[in-house]
Amino acid sequence: MEPILKLEHIQKYYGNEGNITKAIKDISFSVETGEFLAIMGASGSGKTTMLNCISTIDTVSAGHIYLDGTDVTEINEKQIAQFRRENLGFVFQDFNLLDTLTISENIALALAINKTPVKEVEPRILDIAGKLNICDILDKYPYQVSGGQKQRCACARAMINHPKLLLADEPTGALDSHSSQMLLSTIQSINEQMGATILMVTHDTFTASYANRILFLQDGELFTELRKGSDSRSAFFDKILSVLTMIGGGQNHVY
Amino acid sequence: MYTKFVFRNAKRSVKDYLVYIVTLTICVTLFYSFLSISSSYYKPDIGSEYDFTLLSDGMKMAICGVTLILLFLIRFVNNYMLCRKQKEFAIQAVMGMEQKTIGRLFFAETFVMGMISIAIGIFFGVFCSQFITAMLLTSYGKSYELSWTLFPDTVMLTVAFFVFSFLVVGAFNTRTIRQKKIIDMLAADRENDPALKKSRWIGIATILFELFTIWMCVTGVQKVWFYYDSRFAMSVKIMFWGNIILPIVTLLWSALWLIRKKKYGFPKFVFGLLICAALNACIAGSVPALSNEYYLPLGTGTINQYLLFILIDLIFFICTLIYLASNFIVVWKEKSPEHRYKNENLFFLGQIISKLNTTSKTMTLVSITLVLAISMFVVAPILVGWASGYLDVRSMYDVQISSRYNSVYNEENLPRDNYELVTDFLDEHGIKTDNDCTFSLYLPNKDDFHNREKYDFPVLAISLSDYNAIREMLGYEQIALSENEFTTQWQSIATDEDLDSFLKEHNRIMTDAGELTLSEHSFYEEAMGETVYNSYTDVLYILPDSVCEDLLPVIRNRYITTSETISYKNARALEQVFSDEYPEMTEDGVSYAIRLSTLQINSAKATNFVLQAAMIYGAVVLMVICLTILSLQQLLDAGKFKYRFSVLRKLGVEEQQIEKLVLKQLGVWFGLPIFVAIFVSAILITYFIQTVSAEISAYIGFGALMSQIGMIVGALTLLLVCYFISTWILFKKSISHKV
Repeated sequence: MEPILKLEHIQKYYGNEGNITKAIKDISFSVETGEFLAIMGASGSGKTTMLNCISTIDTVSAGHIYLDGTDVTEINEKQIAQFRRENLGFVFQDFNLLDTLTISENIALALAINKTPVKEVEPRILDIAGKLNICDILDKYPYQVSGGQKQRCACARAMINHPKLLLADEPTGALDSHSSQMLLSTIQSINEQMGATILMVTHDTFTASYANRILFLQDGELFTELRKGSDSRSAFFDKILSVLTMIGGGQNHVY
Repeated sequence: MYTKFVFRNAKRSVKDYLVYIVTLTICVTLFYSFLSISSSYYKPDIGSEYDFTLLSDGMKMAICGVTLILLFLIRFVNNYMLCRKQKEFAIQAVMGMEQKTIGRLFFAETFVMGMISIAIGIFFGVFCSQFITAMLLTSYGKSYELSWTLFPDTVMLTVAFFVFSFLVVGAFNTRTIRQKKIIDMLAADRENDPALKKSRWIGIATILFELFTIWMCVTGVQKVWFYYDSRFAMSVKIMFWGNIILPIVTLLWSALWLIRKKKYGFPKFVFGLLICAALNACIAGSVPALSNEYYLPLGTGTINQYLLFILIDLIFFICTLIYLASNFIVVWKEKSPEHRYKNENLFFLGQIISKLNTTSKTMTLVSITLVLAISMFVVAPILVGWASGYLDVRSMYDVQISSRYNSVYNEENLPRDNYELVTDFLDEHGIKTDNDCTFSLYLPNKDDFHNREKYDFPVLAISLSDYNAIREMLGYEQIALSENEFTTQWQSIATDEDLDSFLKEHNRIMTDAGELTLSEHSFYEEAMGETVYNSYTDVLYILPDSVCEDLLPVIRNRYITTSETISYKNARALEQVFSDEYPEMTEDGVSYAIRLSTLQINSAKATNFVLQAAMIYGAVVLMVICLTILSLQQLLDAGKFKYRFSVLRKLGVEEQQIEKLVLKQLGVWFGLPIFVAIFVSAILITYFIQTVSAEISAYIGFGALMSQIGMIVGALTLLLVCYFISTWILFKKSISHKV
């Protein structure tokens, strides 16, 4: 398969000359169309920085990021917003829904911003709401629904424009275990049935076990990579755990 | 240790406190500059014919009254600061500082800021008081020079007033901080609107309005019962019945809604009431207008009552209009998907609706206050111009003695006196007279003597020689009449239509001394004072002397002009001597009056100035309060907005588009209450100007009034633009992603 996202020697430094923090040292990898990729790592390992760079919220210090052949790092300030709304979808830990709008309006906003013809707006909302099982809460406000429902709404909003890449930053971070499970099944079905390419950042093993491939980051560098292949989810879960043990509790760290 | 902390904190957060300091400085400046006039050290050169104490007492009262409103503003600004600093308080509390101490520290901080504002405010106040002095001396007709003086008693009073208000507000704040939970303070800036529920105040307002409508209805029935007459003109009949029917319709609508509550819904009910309130205001407004036009015998009490009705109807109108504004938007949004789904409209409408739902009470209050401020701004020059124009008409003679026969029922009791006592007084005090004219006013027909209905009072007549004597006194040309001819003299308040129709009907008049025809020069309009006319009439006949000899004299007047202005002390003494001998109401029913231009000008100028200064001060204070509240309300929610706009950014909305949205949003938030206020006050002012249009054209002139109103509108617009732009800049800064 063809890679839709390609990172080449990404580096990101913070601070001034005297005191430089290297958040990302040198990372290269690619994501293929239709893949469900998870990135794992402890806090401070550079996961969120990398996601921010890919999502054009932040800029890189060196290297290139290609999304479907376009070099994201070369896009100028003016085109970034347009690029973002045409190519990327976001799901955040804290939902990022607007409390002044109903669930359906929150979804419709993404369409409206993308200048979708008015006639198409409502049918498309109903369509995606059906797929994500949020039809009966469409007229409610965010404060009237549960966390899981909010996050599914956020997914619907992220997916409604059929982005080339769906970026999810700790999507289950604010959910209880049951809601997490429901949401992850939803994300999985988005990946499998709608053929969406998903890049998810998480530090939760259970969440990561839904992905097809996992990249492990440590101190701004790629530590290792794990593919699910034909394993069952529980087997994959065990493998992830052992990698994590290696990272966090490897011999180097234990005396 | 804590003292150091307070000062360091204050120094560091001067930027945060900018709004606080600016608002307080404005308050202090206004307070000081207006109050400086009442200082005992304030000795403006206004001449010996004026007495200044009259003025300063009035000023003190007026200013202290208006300033009480400032307390609310100080409280509001303090609240704003409290909200901004909550997170800081939370961290201090988490670190283990007692909440009591935090409260005290905050109080100390605001107090330091307050003291700074007082210092700056007094400094600016010294400058500003020059404008007030200029205003004062202009109204007394003197030229002025700028002088820079600091009045110790005013400074003391200003400091005392503001320190006292800081203490009061500070005590409230300390209590608020002590009672707040740490967790709430920590999460304060990320708190979303808990629920978009409407507040319940509109329910209370509706109940009050229903009660008021019942009152209005009962009053309407009463008025019909006591005053209705089938001979009234159609419009008057409509007025009488309308004041019963419309309140009943209002009540019926409420009853209908109560029965079919589920079908209609509350907003529809309120919408009905909105229309009813508007109609009620119109019909109530017709009462003063029509009773003016048709001389209805309703009395001042009733007129005032109906003015109150108009006011209440308008206030309720504002309440419902702002309450329903969000419903209008919701309906519009539902009905037109093409607008709803256009670009960021969804976001924009969501913002507006949620804001309207949660702050409609504040918006309504701001709107009502703005109506008050705008009306005061516009009405002040009208009233002042009216009063000073009227003064010119009233005080044409240095001494003006007049009498009235309104309560005299016996011809023997009519006044015949020459008021020699005044001559003696003037001689005694060495006051020389230039002109002195004692004259009678005659009834053309003796039979009219007993006509005492308001609209039935007869027009009186003056002899040609007396008329010419008065004209000479005032420096007008002499006039002449042929035999058996008469002419007329008109009061400046009379309209041209009145004049034309009167002359058409009266080109011949029948008097007790025979028939007279109207002279070729049929009317004179030079101002002659009010006392040459009979009560409730605007016209005076001028008849040949020979005719007057055969007529019944009913009024005896005396006008004197002196070579020098009578001093304030002498004027007071003369007034006393005269009223001892000729009281305002004698046993015979004759009423006498003496008007001394010195006293009239003195009291009129003092009241005029107090009126003008108090109204302008009040209007400025209210305006500043409204605009500050409007602007702080936007900035208060900055945390919330930062989050919402960041979501938009993540969704891929360009910065340019976001800036447009911010401008649109601020435009609506500022625009709505201001638009409603302008709309309502335009109606009020038009109504007011209509009612007193005769007085305005007589004493001020519409051209002069319009230019005055134009200047006021200009100044207000400037103030508004300043506030809008500074709010816009601060708002943009607070939602910026770079910070």
